[in-house]
Amino acid sequence: METVIEVRNLVKRYGDLVAVNGIDLEVKAGEVYSILGPNGAGKTTSVEIMECLRIKTSGEVRILGHDIEKGQRDIRKRIGVLPQSFNAFDYLTVKENIEYFGGLFDKGVAAEDLIEAVQLQDKRNVWFTNLSGGLKQRVGVAIAMVNDPDLIFLDEPTTGLDPKARREVWEIIRKLKSQNKTVILTTHYMEEAEVLSDRVAIMNDGKFIAMGTPKQIIEQYGSGSTCVVKGANPAAAEAVRSAGMTLEARDGDLMVKLDNKGSLPRLVGLLSGSEVTYDEVLIKGSTLEDVFLKLTGKKLAEAEQ
Amino acid sequence: MRPKHVMVDLKGQARSFFRVKSNLFWVFAFPLLLIIIFGAIFSNLGSEAVTLNVQNLDQGPGSQELLAALNETGMVKLKFISPSADLEQYIKDNSLAHVMVIPANYSSNLASNLTAPIELRLDETVSTSGAVFNAVNGVVNAFNLRMAGGEQHVQIEMGSIVQERFTFLDFFVPGIIGLTIMTTCVFNVQGTISRYRANGIFRKLATTPMTPFEWLLSRILWHLFISFLTLAVIMGFGVLIFGMNMSVNLVVVLMIVAGSAMFSALGMIIARFVKNEETASMAANAITFPMMFLSGTFFQLEMMPSYLQQIAAVLPLTYMSQGLRDAMVYDNLAGAYFNLAVVAVIGVMFVIVAVLITKWEEE
Repeated sequence: METVIEVRNLVKRYGDLVAVNGIDLEVKAGEVYSILGPNGAGKTTSVEIMECLRIKTSGEVRILGHDIEKGQRDIRKRIGVLPQSFNAFDYLTVKENIEYFGGLFDKGVAAEDLIEAVQLQDKRNVWFTNLSGGLKQRVGVAIAMVNDPDLIFLDEPTTGLDPKARREVWEIIRKLKSQNKTVILTTHYMEEAEVLSDRVAIMNDGKFIAMGTPKQIIEQYGSGSTCVVKGANPAAAEAVRSAGMTLEARDGDLMVKLDNKGSLPRLVGLLSGSEVTYDEVLIKGSTLEDVFLKLTGKKLAEAEQ
Repeated sequence: MRPKHVMVDLKGQARSFFRVKSNLFWVFAFPLLLIIIFGAIFSNLGSEAVTLNVQNLDQGPGSQELLAALNETGMVKLKFISPSADLEQYIKDNSLAHVMVIPANYSSNLASNLTAPIELRLDETVSTSGAVFNAVNGVVNAFNLRMAGGEQHVQIEMGSIVQERFTFLDFFVPGIIGLTIMTTCVFNVQGTISRYRANGIFRKLATTPMTPFEWLLSRILWHLFISFLTLAVIMGFGVLIFGMNMSVNLVVVLMIVAGSAMFSALGMIIARFVKNEETASMAANAITFPMMFLSGTFFQLEMMPSYLQQIAAVLPLTYMSQGLRDAMVYDNLAGAYFNLAVVAVIGVMFVIVAVLITKWEEE
């Protein structure tokens, strides 16, 4: 499979601040690759270097086979970009906005086809300023596709959107994947990366701290499955603790770690004791959020502060 | 340079511009309002008689002749105060600015060839006091000349420096055209750049084949078009509503081209150095507001103190307004060419600086 992005030891400094600290990255054609991390981790800086928007301090970057410094003109023709916090022209319609950006390329996709692709047929003649946040992001994705790019960068496309709008954007990204486009997605939503990505790189303080498929990362760095016993009484906690199982009490719930195959039947036996009461029992697998917590010692929300 | 990119951007600007009603107000309606308001104020200045309050304690033939002569000047409108009124109190109660008192023995003193003083009390802070003094002084001098049996050897023949076919409004309108071009270009360009930066549009454009030069060229061409539209609307309004008679020649056209480029580039420079959208707007105000008042748009430069005239001499709008006046009103081609040359040189410098410092990519 063709390699579309090759990054070796990329560094970006602003004076004494090292925003990107020697990252390596390789992305194959057709992949949805997420760069995940808190605000200020260096995601956008890394991606904007790949988009020819920022100048690297050192390292090697090749996009679609072209060197980032020598081949900018060729790279720009073949990439599509949705910048972070992008808002198109307020007083142009959806169609006019798409036509504007499409008109800057020599060849591309017809505006009507893009409108259909992002399912905005009934909004084609509505001014951009009158669209909701989710619809605006769909226009942004359509604009990123005007030149029929091989590689699409979507920089935090769902930030600030409500859950419904976020899922609508997810559908568009899945559609891009089905068209065999390579998508680089930056996000600080772990769930988003987990659901959409073929591979993920978790970034913190300018470095990648974990890379691989979501499953590989969770298996490698996750802490296995956890049984959540909701509304457990003190007798339940005592029974589990005395059996030597690892547990944590959180907001009236018991979080019991399932270390091996025998852990679950054993726990079920303990919970069937006559003095034990509880409301419900859930099994929860490790998530990328848990991986981030384990690798950095802090939750994603804490890292953003 | 790809003309196609420039055309795409021009088309987008045209659509956006005419859909925002406030754009149409500021570019077309606001200058017309300024012309109506300031035109009304300044056109009537000096034509209305100033009220002169008179307390005549004499009532003899000499004072009647003096008052009749004052009335005939047309410069003052006489309003009489009762001879029995307490003058000090009356002045306070009625906030009078101009008062003349003719003493009781005025006529008898004149008849006896004695000195006959009259008292003129003026509030020097009121601008019309000078006109009142001139009217009274003129009449008194004429009376003295006649009584002395003298002849008026030196005489004044009045003529207008401005060609007779022009009115005050014709003189005023070129300044408004210059002012409108300045505000339209500076604020639109600065506002657009700040907004595009905040909305990620520059980051997006930087990933397209369009170059910053093509974008700058498109913006300057667009504001040039708007400037000519402004000129046409203001002149059309003046001709149809006020019956103005103004001339547009090649120098006017070149002045508008140079001025639009100069002020568009100034907007780009402001937006480059002041990146926050609101702060950039304040900076644009801080630069254009003094120019609005110090560049001879509303007032003639000669009316200002010399130190303000020196400041006006370094403001680009001064040369644009004066150049437009020279070309449109005075038919002073030498002055028009000089002002055009100054605006062109400043314009070229500003455009070069704007092209050099305008970047889409971040460092």
